[in-house]
Amino acid sequence: MKILLVEDNERVSQFVVKGLQEAGHTTDHAGNGRDGMFLAASEPYDVIIMDRMLPGDIDGLAIIEVLRKTGKRTPILILSALSEVDDRIRGLRSGGDDYLTKPFAFGELLARLDALHRRAQGVNTETPLSVGDLHMEPLTRKVTRGDRPISLQPREFKLLEYLMRHAGQVVTRTMLLENVWDYHFDPQTNVVDVHISKLRQKIDAEFERPLLRTVRNAGYTLTADD
Amino acid sequence: MTSMMRSSALSLALGYVALGIAALILFAAPLWYAWQVTIQEGRVEFLQADAQRLTDVFRRDGAAGLKSFIDARVQMQIAGERILLLTDASLHPIAGNLPAWPADVPPIPGNYTIRVAVANHGTQTALAHVANLGTYKLLVGRDNALFAPLQTHFWYGLAAAIAVLSVAGLLIGLMTRRALLSRVDSIRQTVSAIIHGDLQHRLPTQLHDDELNTLSRTINGMLEQIELLVHGVRNVSNSIAHDLRTPLAELRSRLEELALIRPPAEQAYAEIDGAVADVDRVIRIFDALLRLAEIDAGLRRSGFVALDVADLAANAVEFYAPAAELKGIDLAFRCDGSLWVLGDPILLAQALSNLIDNALKYAPVNGAIEVGVQKHAGGKHAGGEHAGSAEITVSDNGPGIADSEKAKVVQRFYRGDASRGTPGVGLGLSLAQAVAKLHGSALELSDRKPGLRVALNLALDAPGAALPAQQPAAGAVAAAT
Repeated sequence: MKILLVEDNERVSQFVVKGLQEAGHTTDHAGNGRDGMFLAASEPYDVIIMDRMLPGDIDGLAIIEVLRKTGKRTPILILSALSEVDDRIRGLRSGGDDYLTKPFAFGELLARLDALHRRAQGVNTETPLSVGDLHMEPLTRKVTRGDRPISLQPREFKLLEYLMRHAGQVVTRTMLLENVWDYHFDPQTNVVDVHISKLRQKIDAEFERPLLRTVRNAGYTLTADD
Repeated sequence: MTSMMRSSALSLALGYVALGIAALILFAAPLWYAWQVTIQEGRVEFLQADAQRLTDVFRRDGAAGLKSFIDARVQMQIAGERILLLTDASLHPIAGNLPAWPADVPPIPGNYTIRVAVANHGTQTALAHVANLGTYKLLVGRDNALFAPLQTHFWYGLAAAIAVLSVAGLLIGLMTRRALLSRVDSIRQTVSAIIHGDLQHRLPTQLHDDELNTLSRTINGMLEQIELLVHGVRNVSNSIAHDLRTPLAELRSRLEELALIRPPAEQAYAEIDGAVADVDRVIRIFDALLRLAEIDAGLRRSGFVALDVADLAANAVEFYAPAAELKGIDLAFRCDGSLWVLGDPILLAQALSNLIDNALKYAPVNGAIEVGVQKHAGGKHAGGEHAGSAEITVSDNGPGIADSEKAKVVQRFYRGDASRGTPGVGLGLSLAQAVAKLHGSALELSDRKPGLRVALNLALDAPGAALPAQQPAAGAVAAAT
């Protein structure tokens, strides 16, 4: 992926740029709103990471609004130290696609970037999904592994669908909470893990190769690769 | 003295005195004027009639006849009351009781006011009428001495009325000022005690409600709230100090040890992972505190939409069902069908999730938790007309909470004895309480013996009051992956 990072904090920028490079992405960095606006408008990026508060007269939300008005559809992830729900809504209304509060875990950032990139490439919600020998028909809500049908509760179906649409990517607990349950808060306990292990019982338990794997310090990934 | 002049009670009284005097004068002035005009007219008529009579005498008996007539009258009458003077064309006196033609009267027919010296009465103002009798000049006058006592009475009366009004006004003003000052002073003393940091003082109030008392009550209410907030802030800072100090201390010693020992890579990585987990714990506490502050500030009311409580509760129960199952707890859900309220979906979900989470922590293994949503007919909520309320309850059969601790558990960071050794930052119930407060309600904790029942009452959305065209629930914006 080609990524633009607009962020004024040196340490955060270094940390993010280095991490993205290690994950195999090319990253441009702009330290202020003016440079950020220029790069975002002139270069083709797959994803833009935009800090909300920038020094100078152009802040992150202003850049996003300008980009959207000029027809740029590049997915944008907003980084912000403002965590209030209203700030988040304002950020998303201005044209951002996702919102991450500082401080954040790098794994969370990477997972969200992958999800944004995947979403931007366009998903057909009707085409059948498959990961290895696990198949899902979104229209008929039929799930099979190998030739065995798997029966799922509605929420389990939604959980599995989300994981399958992001197959091969790391999906964090927060992403699952937000997208599967629409919960925008931290429920303190490991409830998501329990849901995952229940799902695992249904799709992995009786099979030789586990598909749903735990990624330490980050979340989960559904993959057929080793 | 300046403080006396500045006293609002006194200046108000003085203002009223001035107004009273002005009213008195306004009343007396036209009266005085009308009186003067009537008297003047009467006197002029009288003088004219007198002059006419003398003219008749002159026509009948000539100048000599008039002279003896005047002489006779001057002899007869009381000095000063009537003024008579007959002169020739060169104003040389012929008869009458004036020694000479008065300097302030021109020898032209008409009415004049003159000043004359009268025996026993000093100088008097008099009214004079001048008439031409052939080449002779006749002056007939009347002094005003007759009316002087009346005038004097009038002025005395007016002055006395003004004096009584002023003294009474001043006295009332001073008394009011004293009464008011003593109350204002007690308020001032209380307030200065509060300024010096003693928040427990309250303004004195009285049984009967006057303006000052209403003000005192309002200020007392404000003080109550301020004391509560200050206590809250003090509690929070104490609790932050306590709850953040522990993980920060652990983090510090972990890192220090790491730098000191320099263990092999594998072990170092494990330590770093542990450090990251410590930081995450600190961040989690911070987030919870910020969320609480945000709710307390009441800023979140903008996120209110019409929502179905039953649906919200069903989702929360479904979310926690696997966790309950894992612990062998029976998590039951009971509801009366859809109940619509105006509220913040994110915060209500979080509050309910905290309540269920708590119940899961304290319910014994193989215990039971029941989440219920039921409708109450109108009348339970304070605050006027409404369509009844929706009660969300979370009941468990755990150890429950002692009555003495019920008020404390909703406080920030308070963790009951039973909670030692369980994970959590002690903000769950206080957050639920803050959310309840934002929705105009409060958590009700009651005993089930054994177990705890937590109830949250929400006013039902009155039919028609809902705004169906409102923005989507805050969460819906972010949830479109």
